Amino acid sequence: MEKTITAISTPLGKGAISIVRLSGKDALKTALKFFTPLNKQKIEKRKMTLGNFDLDGAKEKCLLVYFQRPNSYTGEDLVEIHVHGGTTLTKLVQDAFCKAGARLAEPGEFTRRAFENGKISLDEAEAIIEEINSESEAELKTALTAAAGALNLKIKEQQDQITSLLAEIEVSMDYPEEDEFEVVRDKVFAELEVIKTELKRLIEISEQRRFVKNGVNVAIVGRTNVGKSSLLNALIGEDKAIVTAIEGTTRDVVEASIDINGVRFNFYDTAGIRESEDKVEKLGIEKSRKVLSNADLTLFVLDGTQTMTDGDKDIQALVKKPFITVVNKTDNPRKLEKQPNEIEVSAKNQNNIDELKRQMFNLTIGEEIDFNAASATNERQLEALKEAYQCIQNVFKNKHESLEILSLLIKKVWLVLGKITGETENEDIISVIFSKFCVGK
Amino acid sequence: MMRESYEAIVIGAGHAGCEAALALARKAHKTLLLTISLDAVAFLACNPSIGGTAKGQLVSEIDALGGEMGIVADKAAIQIRMLNRGRGPAVQSLRAQEDKTLYHTEMKKVVESCPNLFLKQGEVENVRIEGSKKVVKTAVGDEFESDVVVFATGVYLDSRIIIGKYTESVGPNGFKNAKKLSKSLKELGYELLRFKTGTPARVNARSVNFKELEPQFGEEHIQTFSFMTKKKIKNKALCYLTYTNPTTHEIIKSNLDKAPAISGEIVGIGPRYCPSIETKIVRFADKDRHQLFLEPEALSTSEIYIQGFSTSMPTEIQRDMIHSVKGLENAEIMRDSYAIEYDCINPQQLKLSLESKLHEGLFFAGQINGTSGYEEAAAQGLIAGINAALKLENRPPLILSRGDGYIGVLIDDIVTKGTNEPYRMMTSRAEYRLSLRQDNADLRLTEKGKEVGLVDQKRYNTFLKKKELLKAAEQLLNQKLKIDEKTVNFFKKYEENPPKNSISIKEAIKRPKLDIFKINDEFKIFDNFPENVLAELNLIVKFEGYLKQQKEDIEKSKRAEKEIIPDNFPYEKQKGLKIETIQKLSQIKPENLSQASRISGVSPADIAVLSVLIKKFKGAKK
Repeated sequence: MEKTITAISTPLGKGAISIVRLSGKDALKTALKFFTPLNKQKIEKRKMTLGNFDLDGAKEKCLLVYFQRPNSYTGEDLVEIHVHGGTTLTKLVQDAFCKAGARLAEPGEFTRRAFENGKISLDEAEAIIEEINSESEAELKTALTAAAGALNLKIKEQQDQITSLLAEIEVSMDYPEEDEFEVVRDKVFAELEVIKTELKRLIEISEQRRFVKNGVNVAIVGRTNVGKSSLLNALIGEDKAIVTAIEGTTRDVVEASIDINGVRFNFYDTAGIRESEDKVEKLGIEKSRKVLSNADLTLFVLDGTQTMTDGDKDIQALVKKPFITVVNKTDNPRKLEKQPNEIEVSAKNQNNIDELKRQMFNLTIGEEIDFNAASATNERQLEALKEAYQCIQNVFKNKHESLEILSLLIKKVWLVLGKITGETENEDIISVIFSKFCVGK
Repeated sequence: MMRESYEAIVIGAGHAGCEAALALARKAHKTLLLTISLDAVAFLACNPSIGGTAKGQLVSEIDALGGEMGIVADKAAIQIRMLNRGRGPAVQSLRAQEDKTLYHTEMKKVVESCPNLFLKQGEVENVRIEGSKKVVKTAVGDEFESDVVVFATGVYLDSRIIIGKYTESVGPNGFKNAKKLSKSLKELGYELLRFKTGTPARVNARSVNFKELEPQFGEEHIQTFSFMTKKKIKNKALCYLTYTNPTTHEIIKSNLDKAPAISGEIVGIGPRYCPSIETKIVRFADKDRHQLFLEPEALSTSEIYIQGFSTSMPTEIQRDMIHSVKGLENAEIMRDSYAIEYDCINPQQLKLSLESKLHEGLFFAGQINGTSGYEEAAAQGLIAGINAALKLENRPPLILSRGDGYIGVLIDDIVTKGTNEPYRMMTSRAEYRLSLRQDNADLRLTEKGKEVGLVDQKRYNTFLKKKELLKAAEQLLNQKLKIDEKTVNFFKKYEENPPKNSISIKEAIKRPKLDIFKINDEFKIFDNFPENVLAELNLIVKFEGYLKQQKEDIEKSKRAEKEIIPDNFPYEKQKGLKIETIQKLSQIKPENLSQASRISGVSPADIAVLSVLIKKFKGAKK
């Protein structure tokens, strides 16, 4: 069997349930690194098993189905993880698999493997080609959009810069008898630093863009009685009712969404906030941790009329950046100490809510969205950008290696960037050598 | 008219032709080797040297497969060095100055004494196909027939040399050329290209003022090209370094109108990597000097080769140019520098086996395929010879992949991508460079050479012995070094932090400032192993992570190589591929998916689609 691959098999952001698939020889092994069945249940072939998915300590309920080869879609060992719908969670599961050694599948790769393993008939082959084609056609359309075009140009530029660097390194190795081709390492790393910085920026912009596409996931956390519920209502506005899910299945379900300057902000994981405020607090530390792990932005709510309690402090310790401390109930005299990154509101009086929205927008999206700026327009591109960034970090990590090793590592960056531009065969290094350097007999 | 019958005919007895003919004859096929001049067999027409970056690797690979070049190069070497010694192991290459007379006579001796091999002088004018037989006709009217033919015509096809206004239709060094064979190839349907190269002047050593110049020494007691050579090479000659200067450049610049390459007299495409000196001056105008190496041509002659000074200027200007250089002020010019234009075929008309796509049983090797260099030629000659022999034996061809060696890279490059200038091997062309080292060519290829029947028992035993020793040495890697005073002092001596707990030999080798030799000097663990085995093991350990990654990449690529595209695959009828892609694919007719993926403009998505289409096509045929 080939190397294990993974992909989200359901459309992102749509539907109540998403499926992440793994296929290949380590499919089950990879899944079991994260999945623990409830009640120590045994995993049976082609049966659903309920269990917990461990995301950096946070437990997420999900279902696992195992198909043993050859009785699976791809003909290889195949595992499906069914999680509650929602982009962030699904992505986290997929990322976890990638970190554990699986590779993100190429377009149509599951289908290709299925065909290669004889799981799909000849008739179906036609359909597959259509499918793969329509996918690339769709990609072509996206490629025409400004951002994708700009990204392509930008990455092409970086590839050219890398080619030029490589030519310099290569000429020194291929023409050792010429006296003047000594590689200046500092110069090489200075140029790589520029590329690295640009890549980082591209990743940031792309993530911002992803917010624009998928919405920003906001978690509202805070101790009981600080006014989380009324804050949510104030943010949503009086006219809109809260979109409620069926009790007990609130995990990862969008409770409500609002629009700020054209960007969707989703309030997730608000389990507990609809409970009447005099009920016993159920939202413990464990719950908060889970909620926070999925959030792009956290609103940490405090009661302005009281000083910090131990409960407040426990939750505060979990809050990660970016966050806003929302000091509520400012219609009454304030007793609360000054808080980091705070904003005073009164949910009850709708006071300062617009300012809160403005800050939510600024913290995640930033002041302006330049829709023409280069950015990744799909997950695969973003993945490639991140991989390239990792590769370039790897070059810096091995700074003192010999030139041939450095060349190898730098070529890898070039190759990964090629996943975006489609340029994967570098014939230019030699052309650059000949045009830039006077070599030969 | 005489008509003789052979199993194989090789046209041309240069570096490609000799290897091809030897491979065929050693595999017991009655082979005729035709050469335009018996005095030009394995002639080093340009620089008197073999090896250099990437080329040294090629020679080792030829040797590992059972070819001849390495053995003869060792015999005729008069100075040897390892290039890139200060750099990593993968880019280190042997380069030797060769006695060109000795090289020629030694190779000729081998060819003459080889059973089943018949060396004969004669200009081939025409090749025609008669059923399954090929008929080769020479200028004097003799006809020879065979089942397979290897074209290894070098730069002799309709060649022309140029010195200033003087041009003449001759071969290199004034040898006779092949005037009519180009036409015959065209009639057979081959697309011809016109390439150009050149060679610098030779001067008399007695007229050179060496005292003024920096000598270049060889290295003593270093490894040889061939895994079979037992004696170390003795350095018997010196090279010298000198430079062009502003006066030289001024002479060239004021006479550019007389330079045929610049004025347009020469139409052939020259290689960018060995431009004539006038091209260098024009293209790199900011450089105020260019390096020149003075290399002896042979021990039996006073001729000195001026590397870096190739030109096609008129002789009086050549003379002024040479005399402007330090040390050459009074140089007596014995041979003028000249440019040479010649016909070659578009190598995209060949399969990865170097057999023609147009005619079964016709093979092409060497400069006729648009390459340059003795080593590149010999490598192709060997593969063409082996595959011609395998064809006679009804066996599948030997195809080396890019992960197997530089030979694989070379052939895949020219056959898949073609070339628009004489192709030279460079280490940067090999993506698996780290794995394709000179020192492990035997480990990579000898088994394959044995399989095709070219590696004799002696070579094979040498290889098995090395493998065995390597395995035995590898087993010692897990031994632990005790942490005692001796170990601590050893680490301190090489500025490495002494380990806290015991450390395995392997971990110790991986420390940047240590290696297997230092460890052995201290702890005497590998005393029973020869140096080449330890050097090999040292590399394997040092680069373990990178080599493992590379191995995975190579295996991935080999999987795609196994997806064979049938000869008759109807690209034009396929849905799901862009028309442009279809055109490219049907022109080049890649043999497998791996090769297809390297055609420029064919995307990974195209390959995915193609993979499915091919399976479907094969399935439908069954």
